[in-house]
Order: sequence, then C-alpha cells, then structure tokens
Amino acid sequence: MSKRHRRPPSASRTDAPDGSGVAAVRAHVDDLLARGKTRDAVEAARQLYKAARTAETEALLVDAYGARIRALMATGLTREARELASLVVERHPGTRARILPLLHETAARAGGDLGPLLAGLASADPATRRDLERTLGRVLTDCRALAEDPRLSDGDPLRQAARAASELFQAVTSGPLPDGALARLDGVSRHSPLAPWKLLIRAIDAYYRRDDAAVLANLSAIPPDAAPARLAPLLRCLAGEAKPIDRPSLGDRVLLDKVSGGRARFRTELAGLIDAIRGRDQRQALVAARNLIETARSASDTFMPTFASTLLTHWLHANFDPRPLMTLLVRGRSDVGTLRQLALALERVGAWEAAVPAWDGYLATAQQIAAMPHTGREPSRLLLHMAELIPTDIDELLDVADVEDEEELQELIRDGALPDCLDRGRLLERARTADPDARVFRALVAHWETRDPRRAEREADAWRARHPRDLEPLLFLARAAERRGAHRKALDWLDAAEVLDRVHPDVRRSRFRVLLSSGERHLRDRQVSAALRDIDRLAVGPEAAAGDRPAYVEALRWAAARCAGETASAIERRRDLGERLGNPVLLNLVLASVAATIGLDTGGDVGVDPSTAMPKVAAVEGLARAADLLLALDRPLHAPPDLVRRIELNPRGAAPAHLYSLCTLGLRTNRQSLAYAASGAGLEADTELTHRFLLARGRALATGRHEQERERALRCLRAARTLATRLRDTETSREASLALRELELPPWLMDEAPEEDDLPPAAIRRVIEDERNATAAPSFTALPPRGRRRRRPDRRRPSLPSEAQPFLDFKEREL
Amino acid sequence: MRAAYLAAVRAHPPDRDPIAFQKIREAYDLIRDAERRLELRLFGPPPLESLDALVGLFPDERRHVGPEAWLTVLRETRR
Repeated sequence: MSKRHRRPPSASRTDAPDGSGVAAVRAHVDDLLARGKTRDAVEAARQLYKAARTAETEALLVDAYGARIRALMATGLTREARELASLVVERHPGTRARILPLLHETAARAGGDLGPLLAGLASADPATRRDLERTLGRVLTDCRALAEDPRLSDGDPLRQAARAASELFQAVTSGPLPDGALARLDGVSRHSPLAPWKLLIRAIDAYYRRDDAAVLANLSAIPPDAAPARLAPLLRCLAGEAKPIDRPSLGDRVLLDKVSGGRARFRTELAGLIDAIRGRDQRQALVAARNLIETARSASDTFMPTFASTLLTHWLHANFDPRPLMTLLVRGRSDVGTLRQLALALERVGAWEAAVPAWDGYLATAQQIAAMPHTGREPSRLLLHMAELIPTDIDELLDVADVEDEEELQELIRDGALPDCLDRGRLLERARTADPDARVFRALVAHWETRDPRRAEREADAWRARHPRDLEPLLFLARAAERRGAHRKALDWLDAAEVLDRVHPDVRRSRFRVLLSSGERHLRDRQVSAALRDIDRLAVGPEAAAGDRPAYVEALRWAAARCAGETASAIERRRDLGERLGNPVLLNLVLASVAATIGLDTGGDVGVDPSTAMPKVAAVEGLARAADLLLALDRPLHAPPDLVRRIELNPRGAAPAHLYSLCTLGLRTNRQSLAYAASGAGLEADTELTHRFLLARGRALATGRHEQERERALRCLRAARTLATRLRDTETSREASLALRELELPPWLMDEAPEEDDLPPAAIRRVIEDERNATAAPSFTALPPRGRRRRRPDRRRPSLPSEAQPFLDFKEREL
Repeated sequence: MRAAYLAAVRAHPPDRDPIAFQKIREAYDLIRDAERRLELRLFGPPPLESLDALVGLFPDERRHVGPEAWLTVLRETRR
C-alpha cells in the first residue's frame, strides 16, 4: 500500500467512539504530530470527526490541519498550503479565527502579498495581533515590501522601522556602514516582526567588519522560523564555520561564491577531499580534487603553488597514484611548476628514487621551453640537489637498485635499464658543467674521495684553479699528498694555504701533522739532519705548544740524538725531558711511542715499568696524560699491563679528568674493562663529566656478553644523551645517539624502541645510582666493527623504473 | 625590489602596524638574498602540515555584492 492510501489504525469509519475512544485518538494524533507525521494526523482526526461531530473533535481536526499547513509551508509547498487553509476556513467557518493567520501567511508566502496580513493586523485584538506579528516575522522576506505597502500610513511605526531596515540592508550589503548607522534600528523591539531583520543586518555588518564572533552571536538570536533565518547557515559558513551546508540551492551557491570569492566553496570541497583521503577512496578523492582544483585556480596566483604542493604531498602520503591528479593539475606544456611540485612531493614522502627522475624530467622540460637556462647557478643548484638526494650510504643505494655492487649499478645505468640521473658522479659533473661553483666541487671531491682518490685530487686541483681564494681545496690536496707520503708536496700546498690564511686552525693543524710525519719518516730513514730541520720547524708552530706536545717534540730530538749516535746528548735530553714531564710513567710511554714509531731500539732507556715503584694516583696520571697526548697524535701507546690491571681492580682516587682519559683509552684500545672501571669511579665522583662517564659506561657495557649488560648499556646511553643535551654538549649527545643506534637490544626491548625518548631526571639519578652500586664486573666481547654491510632485506623492493613510472608516463603523454 | 619594500614600509610603518611591518621585513630579507631567492624558486613553497590549513591560506575576501543575491536566497522559500 502506498503512503497516500495508508489508513491510520485508530479510528473506525462506522463506530462512534466513546469518551475514552476520543481521548485515545487525540493521544494518537498528538503522537503523530510530535513525530512530524502531519498527513497521518489529519487523516486520524478526520476519521474521528466523521465518527463523532463534536466541537472537541472539530478542534482536534483543525489543530491537525494547522500543523499540516505549517508543514507544507516549511517544505516550500506554499501554494498547496494556501489551498488547504482556504478549504479549512470554508469547511469549518467556526474556527476561522484560528486558521486566519495561517491563511494570511500562506498568501504572503505564495504571492508576497502582505495585504491580508496587514489588514488583519490593523483590526486585530491584542492576542490575534501577536499571532499575526509572529506570522509577519515568518513571511517577511524583504523589508522593502513592508516599507512601501500603502496600507500602512507614513507615520506608522512598523512602516518607519521597515524603511530603516530596508535601507540599512541595502547599505550593509553594498559597502561598509558608517559608524553609528545601526543606531537607526535601536527602536526595533525584540517582539517586533522586524527583530529578526535587525539581527540579520547586525550579523552582516559584523561579517564585513570581520568580527565573526559577533556574526554567530547575532545569528543565534534569530528565531529559526523567521524568514531571515534562511540566511543563517550561509552566514555561518561565510564566517568560517566548518559545518557544510546541507543541499545548497543555486541561490546559496551563487551568494557564497559572490561574497567570499570562492572561499566558502573551497572549504566545502576541501572537506570532501579530506574525507575521501581519510577513507582511502582514491576515486572519490579524485572527484573532490577536480572541483577543488578549479576553485583553487580562481584564487590568487600566489595560492596555487602552495595548494599544489600540499595536495600532492598529502596525496602521495595516502599512497594514491599521482598520475590522474597530475592530469588535473598540469595546465599545458608550459606548466613546469607543477612538475616541480611533483618532484618535491615525491622527495618529501621519501621516494628519492622516483624524485630524482622527476627532477630530471622537470629540468629537461624547463630547459626545453626556456623556463630555465642550460648553464648558471639555477640548473647547477638543482643538479647538486638531485645528487644530494641519492643516499651516500652505498648499501642503501644498492638495496634500492637491487644490485650487488656499484659496478653492477653503473652497468645498468650504462645499458639504460636505470636512468642515468641515478649516477651521483654524473649528476655532479653536469652541475659542474652548468656552474663550477665551490659547493659543486666540494660535493665532487667528497664523492670521489672514497671511490677514486686520484680523481678526487684532480677535482680538488680544478677547484683550486677555478677558485684560487678557496682554502678548502688546498687543505684537501695537502691531506691527499700527506696520505700518499708526499710530505714535501703537502707542505707546498700548506704554504699556499698559509698565503691565504696563516692563522686558520685547519692550516695550523695540517702543518703540524705533516711536519711531524715528515720528521718521523726522516728519523725512520735515519736522515737525522732532515729530521731535525722538520723538528725545528715543527717546534715553532703554535700547535706544538699545546698540552704535553712539547715533550713529544723533545722526545723526537732525543730519538734524533740516539739515531746520530750522540749518546751523551741523548742522556741529557732524556733527563731534561724527565724533569719537564715530572712523571716517570709518562716519560717512559712517550719515549716508547717515539721509538716504536721510528723503529728505534731503545736499549736500556725504555722498557722497565716504573709504575710499580710509584703511588697509584701518580701512575694513573702518567697513563692518562700519555693517552691524551698519543691518542690525539694517533701514535702508539703501550700501556704497562700491570698498571692497567691495578687500575681495573680499583681506580678510585684518580682525578676525574684522568679517569675520563682512561675511559677513552679503554674504548680506543678495545679494553672495555678499563673503560668500565674508570667510568664507574668517575660516576662515584659526581662531577660535571657525569654524562661522559655514562657514555663511556654505556659503550663498554654495549659489548657485554649478556643481555642484561646491554640493557644497562641502553639505560646509560639514554641517560648520557639526555644529560648531554641539557648541558648542550652536542658531541657527547651525538656519540650517545650513534651508540644507541648501534646497540644490539635484548629481545624484550626490541618492540619498545625506547632509544628515541629522553629520560626524566629521576630515572637518570636511578641509573647513576644503579651503576655506582654495580659490583660484579661484566665480561666483554670485542667491539663490533663499524660500518659493516647490512643484510639485504628479504622482500624485494619495486624496481626503480616502476617507481619512477608515474612521472615518466605522465611526461610522455603530456609532452 | 627595494622601492617596493620602501613603499610597503611607508604604508605599514613599524610604530603603527608592527605585525605587518615584521612580515614585510621578513619577506624582504628572504627575497633580497640571491641564494635564498633561488632556493625559494626551486624548492618552495613548502607544503602545509594539514590539508585543512589550506582554507586559511585561501584569500579571505568579503565582497559587497548588493542586496539582490541575499534577497534571492530569502525568496527561494516561495514556490
């Protein structure tokens, strides 16, 4: 049965209901009205009225008709509402007064005719007048109609207020209102049929003054059945309320577009796109994006790049195919800007292997249409950027390309199986050709340094020739010559560097290092005079005066005397050196180191461990100072085994700085037990080096044989990093982070990934306390070698061409 | 560029409109440095953190269009 022919279940056509039956039907009608089923309510009341024609049942029927008329008007069926109201008045003349306002309302709504309403208003009693005024408020869709209605006299307060509202509405929608203009509406009371118009005009004025809070406040006071309430959702949308308008009409859309310049539409369409992206619905997202892009294009020119960049990035983050979106975004052949945005978006989502070919495509297209020159800073900077995108970690590069070694990668590039833009060396060469900038040379030298040192030197030499005022290539060339053992050449480069900047710390350090190596080599070759010349030059440099370095230089002179067979001089120098150092352990270690470096048989001068006859603290000091000196110079240090064992057993009492030097010695010489013991004593001392002792402790424990020790290492390293960060000790913080990354975690900590979080102060105090109280010495393994080849992942990644394909396909189709 | 900057500063002097002046100053600092200008041309603008934020960037125009468009909506309730 259709809705039209449904019968209400309550009333019978034949049986007249008794009193209780009438009450039941009334309750049923009320229930239907409450649920908005006005049609069924009218039918039920009509059946009741037919069965029992009483004043009570007639009143119930008229009530139901009234609700039905209002419902028809609410759905816009004003003509039908008017016809029904006329019918009711005709059939039930006794209830005319109750239906009359509705009849006037339907007349006003259907034809804009306020006449009957105003006529009724003039002669109505106070109660009816209030009803009619409320009705007027509901139907008054244009104040001008009221202001110009001849049935109201010129002096009628309602007409005057309507004129003011009409003029102000015209003014507020046409331009900024002058200050105080709204005062004309002050006389409109909140019971007036014009009160909703007063609130609407205030809301519009607030909107143009960008006082959105006032807009919302005024709108909330408009009764929902008043005519101006029809504009409330639109104004709310204009004022930035996120809730979209339900089924906007053509008039709604036109008004929103005209007033907001497309902003309101953009917000609505964007909400649709966001929903589609959240729902991972690419088809729906594409539909939303199509409208959104059109709206975005109507905005200012500066908006579109950010819009495209944001849209592409979020699109790729959602793992959507970029090709259809690019088809919508790109406007013709000259729109290289969008190709650039795609490359940037690919780069931002971490797909460097697709981003680099996308950048290359952008570069080629831009140059083809003369949007970018072939030479100069711009292409060079872009090529350098592309090169920087390619990982420096060769393992990552090989894994992505799914090849065994770099040679195989080069072969695939040569064969065209992979785009040649994935060859970093080639990209850098192109950058250099475009613009031989210092940054490009620096990148070229760094690229070739580990692959082909001779080529790196050639690049550095070309850099020096191109930029003769740059210090960097000279320092690199000096280092490279030093590595080859060409000390004279290295010194020549350093001479050239000194001409540019004599006091540069790198120049000074390099000169000291080269002269030291040169002097030692001459001594190794027993060329004493040449060695002494180097030592003399070395001794006058400022680098030679730092810490215990003068002692090392003196030790070289002692060695020269020994090499020359000048025994008396050697003895004298040894004695002077001993007095200068004031520590027999240190003297012994320095002499032994020099002797080992130059291959000198020390005879009876070095070899007996004097530490056994010394107080332990002084012996520790000697060993610590020797570690500071010799480790910094990268020279051999042969610590007396007995002394090291004594320190490991009980290192307490030594100065914190010396303890830290012993930590460094232990870690550098793969003697973790020494680092463990020294860091433990350092933690007991509670000094400002605590974070460094924690780092040393953590690094030592990281090589522990048992999982519990690695768990302790994790805590120490996290505490060290947190403290170092707070103390702004960036070097220690970085080392702690590196150690945390390399730490092999116990299985029960694998899922927590706690290495990224900082520790709270209480937790740090607990770590320190635990380490102080740790008594049992752990057993250590050898340190794992750094930079080992990572295991290849089992899952094969998609090959490069397929990941780059979206861009390549698109480019081919468009161009 | 400098002339445009000075004109903008005259329109928004720091004592009367410090926020606008600050923005003008930052923009000028950005574009007068050739390297930063190149960076912006090649690698800008950065995407926004969320798509929602695009609404904030869309020009917030509030055009006066006269009463007719508003009245049309009000009249739409009639049939």
